[in-house]
Amino acid sequence: MMTDVDTIAALSTVPGLSAVAVIRISGPGAASVLSSLLPLGCALPEERRATLVELRDPDDGSTLDRALVTRFAAPASYTGEDMVELSCHGGWIVPGLVLDACRRAGAREAEAGEFTRRAYLRGKLDLAQAEAIADVIEARSRALHRAAVHQMDRGLSDRIADLRARVVRVEALLAHHVDFPEEDDAPVPLDTVAAEARGLWRETDAMLATAPEGELLREGAVAVLAGRPNAGKSSLYNALLGEERAIVTEEPGTTRDALIASVELGGFPFRLVDTAGLRGDPGRVEALGIEVARRWLEAADVVLFCVPAQEGLTEEDEAFLSEVRGAPVVLIETKADLASDGSPAGRGAHAAVADKLRVSVRTGEGLGVLRERVRSLVYGRVLGAGVDVPVLTRRRHADALRVARTELGVFCEALMSGVPAEMAATHLRLAESALEEVVGVVVADDVLDVVFREFCVGK
Amino acid sequence: MRSRYDVIVVGGGHAGAEAAAASARAGVRTLLLTPDLGRVGQMSCNPAVGGVAKGVVAREVDALGGVMGRATDASRIQFRMLNRSKGPAVWGPRAQCDRAMYPVAVRAILDELPMLDLFQEMVDDVLIDGGRVAGVRTRGGMNLEAGAVVVTTGTFLRGRIHIGGEAGLSAGRAGEAPSVALAEGLERAGLKVARFKTGTPPRIDGRTVDFSRTERQDGDEMEYRFAAYCDEVIPAQRPCWITWAGDGLKQVVRANLRRSALYGGEIAGRGPRYCPSIEDKIVRFPDAPRHQVFLEPEGLRTTELYVNGLSTSLPADTQLEFLRTVPGLEDVMMTKVGYAIEYDYFPPHQLRHTLEVRGVPGLFFAGQINGTTGYEEAAGQGIVAGINAALKVRGEDPFVLERDQAYIGVLIDDLVTRGVDEPYRLFTSRAEFRLLLRQDNAHRRLGPLARDRGLLTDEQGVRLADRLEAEDRVLVWFEETVVTPEVAAPVLADAGSSELSEPTRAIELLRRPRVGAADVLRAARPEGGDVPRADVLATVEVELKYSGYVARERARADRLRSQADFALSRDLPYEGFRTLSFEAREKLAQVRPGTLAQAGRIPGVSPADLQNLVLEVRRLAGATSFVPSGADG
Ligand SMILES: Nc1nc2c(ncn2[C@@H]2O[C@H](COP(=O)(O)OP(=O)(O)O)[C@@H](O)[C@H]2O)c(=O)[nH]1
Repeated sequence: MMTDVDTIAALSTVPGLSAVAVIRISGPGAASVLSSLLPLGCALPEERRATLVELRDPDDGSTLDRALVTRFAAPASYTGEDMVELSCHGGWIVPGLVLDACRRAGAREAEAGEFTRRAYLRGKLDLAQAEAIADVIEARSRALHRAAVHQMDRGLSDRIADLRARVVRVEALLAHHVDFPEEDDAPVPLDTVAAEARGLWRETDAMLATAPEGELLREGAVAVLAGRPNAGKSSLYNALLGEERAIVTEEPGTTRDALIASVELGGFPFRLVDTAGLRGDPGRVEALGIEVARRWLEAADVVLFCVPAQEGLTEEDEAFLSEVRGAPVVLIETKADLASDGSPAGRGAHAAVADKLRVSVRTGEGLGVLRERVRSLVYGRVLGAGVDVPVLTRRRHADALRVARTELGVFCEALMSGVPAEMAATHLRLAESALEEVVGVVVADDVLDVVFREFCVGK
Repeated sequence: MRSRYDVIVVGGGHAGAEAAAASARAGVRTLLLTPDLGRVGQMSCNPAVGGVAKGVVAREVDALGGVMGRATDASRIQFRMLNRSKGPAVWGPRAQCDRAMYPVAVRAILDELPMLDLFQEMVDDVLIDGGRVAGVRTRGGMNLEAGAVVVTTGTFLRGRIHIGGEAGLSAGRAGEAPSVALAEGLERAGLKVARFKTGTPPRIDGRTVDFSRTERQDGDEMEYRFAAYCDEVIPAQRPCWITWAGDGLKQVVRANLRRSALYGGEIAGRGPRYCPSIEDKIVRFPDAPRHQVFLEPEGLRTTELYVNGLSTSLPADTQLEFLRTVPGLEDVMMTKVGYAIEYDYFPPHQLRHTLEVRGVPGLFFAGQINGTTGYEEAAGQGIVAGINAALKVRGEDPFVLERDQAYIGVLIDDLVTRGVDEPYRLFTSRAEFRLLLRQDNAHRRLGPLARDRGLLTDEQGVRLADRLEAEDRVLVWFEETVVTPEVAAPVLADAGSSELSEPTRAIELLRRPRVGAADVLRAARPEGGDVPRADVLATVEVELKYSGYVARERARADRLRSQADFALSRDLPYEGFRTLSFEAREKLAQVRPGTLAQAGRIPGVSPADLQNLVLEVRRLAGATSFVPSGADG
């Protein structure tokens, strides 16, 4: 629980060696905290003007650092409260000393995400925008960054606002239908009302098209490398990562556990997983690795199945492929440089395979195509969506929109199956509530807690 | 007449009659003062009671032991259930009444009340002593003492009638004097005054109408009563007639628009958007090809007709001219001209939910004086004001109806917390719990409340108990009875519904579309048993069939109530937050809460206000693209 009376402070940059560290102070006491850190008799710097000042210990007056200070007066600040931003020197000592001085001057250490939470609670941002800020900061891919910036710019909020306004309009049509039975102009026919609602259903549905992929943007899609030992998985893993991460050996079965690395493929985030070699008669250590591999396969968003190009699929491979559920499989014919141009000895196709291509990590052949293909396979809907279409990157948004979609659907069904209009309208109100939740018109405390838990201190 | 009463009611319209009756039924000495005792309960506009939402209010007034339901049954000459093609939650009973019989019936009901005295006299001032009400002073100079005074003066406060471009005639109603002194007296007491206008259409001589050129509209053949506790004798029934105003009328109105008091700038007050004059309709909807006109009988023993749909403030000659463009009215003779009236009202945010004026203990307002339109809205306020005046005198807890208890609760809450900017009329869409607030369950919602406050006679109490018991028996039967697939099969087949796979509770069957309570009863009890009355069965059917929807409505409202920890700065410009209710703005500005949760605990700040408050704060900060929508949605 938060009241609006206390003042908070936190280091907003990463602790450790850095030229500059930024400390933010927010709350009604922000200016007074700052003035306690200034030399006696030194006036407060002008608002919204970066000013070089000397920072002194509030108790003994010793000099702590020289810092560039900017003061913001409520409500024109990030949080909507009085704020101070101190750019002091970074490193191990200075930021800690300054923060401690702030504390003694009356500020308390901010909780995770508290600055943004205050910004939200003061109406500077809506909930979707607040979440977008977290994503902008945490984005590990250009794709998430793009989606987050769009959302921060109210891309999602505007769409939701528009949908909500139109649901309200449908409700108003029904109100007219119910309240003016004898008006001159005939009431809007119910099919027209249902058609409007169906249109809204379709739009909500279209917005949901990016939902599962959008969530992957935040975590990274799981791309699992699989294939027999020595198929070239570790080599490909390293090639995609661009650095020597896995141990590459000639001995079958040496990659015992799964290696995981975050990587951007074609601007989209992936978690690349190199699993142990899969083999019919494994040793004990490898058995452990295979177990890990199977677990990862269940979580996979895409499977990169490696087969040496000169060998082709074996029966063992096919048995394995038949077990893959859900995720699309890309059949990668590795070591293309060693293979002749002719078709491989084994079979080259399987029902589970969505795509097939040849790669050589030696020559670099096919690596670019592989990146593109994998990206399109996993993020096809996000890629296909127009630039103005907000990408749903959070389950919270998708869940709310799903509720809205369901209620709109039930509304149409109810209306068409003869449920009285004023009863059916209940579903419209529920759809409205669901949409309102995305931007947080009035949301329950627990939703807020979940949202703001994701922020780290200082944002 | 005595010189001292517990409660004095000023005005004998629909609000006054209900207020006086309620106060007297509550057991305190009550006096009704009105300038013309012959016109108590007069229908000054359309001779009809009810309609969508309004009909529910009439039923609510009746359930509370009021006058309106009985008077309507005793004088109605046509009955129709509006919205019958729609769901039962929005059915609106409407009765055309005999304009002469209605007041007679009202008077007869008032005369039954031993605690009520009537006296014909104009009131010039409300006496205030030491900040609280002490009584009234009459035109004749008499001072009458009272513990509480209910003012229900309708459109009489500084009323001015406008017919055409004439300067305007001081009047409370056609042919009656306005109350000027009283308006001034109330203003002196520190109350804010504003002005509204409303209009009436001309009346015509039915003998000069060619009905063959109109469409006959008969009433519904249904056994229906507004009164739940008393069976009045229902008069003979009459049809209405429908015709259409087209291009000819449009031309006449357009050509004479300058001569209209409404458009000639004579009238400053705002009029109701929902009951527009014909000038309004033609100016605002120039493309509408035609406008519906109802010719409604004024009574059984007169040929006079009320021309519903053509209210106007054009000059008399123009009225006759445009009337004669309407099919069937080519040779019509006008009996009364239509007119517009502007009048004082007291913006109702100055009231408490009891309808007591804030800052003047013991003074109550009800009816059009509070900025409403309609007999039903007036009656609903009158009964609440009358009950509370009596309770005040007796030192008992106030009687307040919540928004989920009655349309009357919605009405008063809207008035008090939002204020009005045009004459207020009830709509179903004003109620967030309209599925609960039905015409069929008014007695169930409000009867017990009235009984517990001693507002029902013993006899009425017995009628209520019988009715509720009968409903309960049927409710329990549906909840407890299990129906086998074989028994249910014919019912489900008739309803086009899929068969049961296992024995199922009767209530589940009823929840299926097109399955009726009577069908289920008949199938499950082929031997008969005691058959419940049709209206009892209808109430239960609606109650059970739609309980899922009602529960969902409730859950949503509850969720809104659990507010977030949204911080509110202490210096928000609440006065400018126009999407909030008037009372909310005022209270918030006074209290200046620190969070939304605190704001939600302030009485008078509704969930909708909280929503809008968040939106306003965001809009202020430039952070949202939501356009806050008004209360009307
Ligand atoms: N010529 C050639 N050799 C490769 C290529 N990829 C992998 N190899 C070799 O194949 C062997 C097995 O590779 P590794 O990545 O360890 O296979 P894993 O067991 O599937 O992880 C190693 O000796 C690699 O150097 C390639 O594209 N071309």
